[in-house]
Amino acid sequence: MSDADGLPLPHADRDSGPFWQALREGELRLPQCLACESLRFPPRAVCNRCASFDTKWVALSGRGTIASWVRTHQVFAPGYRDKVPYWNVQVTLVEQADIQLIGGWAGTVEPRLDQPVRARWVARGPEHTVLDWEPIPD
Amino acid sequence: MRDQVAIAGVGYTEFSRDSGVSTLTLASRAVLAALEDAGLTPAALDGVATFRVGDSVTPTILAQALGMQDLHWYLDQFGGGSCSHSVVGQAALAIHAGVADTVVCYRALNARSEFRMGGTGRPPVDAVETQYQAPYGFFTPPQQFAMAARVHMERFGTTHEQLGEVAVRQRGFAVDNERARLRDPITLDDYLASRWVVEPFRLFDCCLETDGAVALVLTSTERARDLRQPPVLLRGAAWGSGSTLYSNQQPDPTRSAAADLAPRLYAQAGVGPEDIDLAELYDCFTYSVLVQLEDYGFCAKGEAGDFVQSGATARGGALPVNTHGGFLCEGYVHGLNHVTEAVAQLRGQAGARQVAGAELALSTAQPGYIAGCTSALVLRKDA
Repeated sequence: MSDADGLPLPHADRDSGPFWQALREGELRLPQCLACESLRFPPRAVCNRCASFDTKWVALSGRGTIASWVRTHQVFAPGYRDKVPYWNVQVTLVEQADIQLIGGWAGTVEPRLDQPVRARWVARGPEHTVLDWEPIPD
Repeated sequence: MRDQVAIAGVGYTEFSRDSGVSTLTLASRAVLAALEDAGLTPAALDGVATFRVGDSVTPTILAQALGMQDLHWYLDQFGGGSCSHSVVGQAALAIHAGVADTVVCYRALNARSEFRMGGTGRPPVDAVETQYQAPYGFFTPPQQFAMAARVHMERFGTTHEQLGEVAVRQRGFAVDNERARLRDPITLDDYLASRWVVEPFRLFDCCLETDGAVALVLTSTERARDLRQPPVLLRGAAWGSGSTLYSNQQPDPTRSAAADLAPRLYAQAGVGPEDIDLAELYDCFTYSVLVQLEDYGFCAKGEAGDFVQSGATARGGALPVNTHGGFLCEGYVHGLNHVTEAVAQLRGQAGARQVAGAELALSTAQPGYIAGCTSALVLRKDA
């Protein structure tokens, strides 16, 4: 699914619906296991640590640190012709180090390893919201 | 299963930017070439195996096209490069179990003219994490591998020059490979002058999206010894391991699923990295060669850049790597053309690029950065 500019949009499935709904409501929520308390991403019904189905969705801080980053120069889809070059970041969530989200970069200069960042909710058309990440000012 | 199953024939099509034909035609050409190499006809086949990501002809359609009337075993594996070598291993299991006598494994794709990985012209391959990444313009393999390469560079001081050394060394082999799409030698300056694709990757860090097919005929070692070519034996075959996804349970992207697989593969083969004469390491990008040199135990974690700079992986080095030029130069046939090259080397048929005294080879799949699983083979010359 793409928007009017040809850019890919979130495409919710039966596991991910609440995740995207939460972004629309201005929260970052993930499923948390009631048995072992671990968070999981991508969202799914069963815990990948203890196989429990007992789950609640919890709101996270929206804070993390930069795990890695790349800068895309090649146009991989027509909608990006006017966007390149652009940064993507991989962010380690403060709540759980083995969850690392890919997102857009809202900073003005190149990210740094382990740089503290916070989420920025970005509307993509009337029905979708995605997360970019920006530096937390010192 | 050690040494009980052999590769008896290999076949290729031309590698190009635009084959002008269907994947069925490519697969048929490669399979018939592999049978011819082995001195067999389609009537000898009772098994067919491939892997694909919705981009190629199915094994049952190929079997029908080749007039196979009595198919005993087939495998239509959904997946990318990470399962490329598992298809060969599973064919060997079928033969060892007596389910099939003679199996052909193929990979046929128009990866340049029709279906480009990452979806140029078509939607991205449907993976569990695509929906969480594509909205940010992040849906192609160079982006995924560049993320991991960046961490290796930050943490271990791996340099652009060391990534470039992989490309330069592999081109050094390709000059003597008539199949290779890029055969002109390059220097480190040429590498550094090539354009950015996804920082930290330049153009010469990336493999060549290619139209083409390769095929391998497998049968029991006993039968293979009666055929036209010297058999190349499957000493070990392992697949599986990691439980990671790209964005979960992978807190250390500088370590690939190959690190989990390698001990199991070596134990099965009864050899260690010190016994390997040459390695065909999945080179979708230069970085995947570096991480596998570490994870398959040829050097310590973080030291692959120095290892490559030392010349160890070059022609005449202690461990020649990607002796056909790899996917960076020969072309990207999604993993299986590493196996065909290992076979050529172990038969002693690699011409001017032949590695002297080649008896034991490692050939590997994509090391598991996206699916979490990988696969690899240890192949050996018949005694």
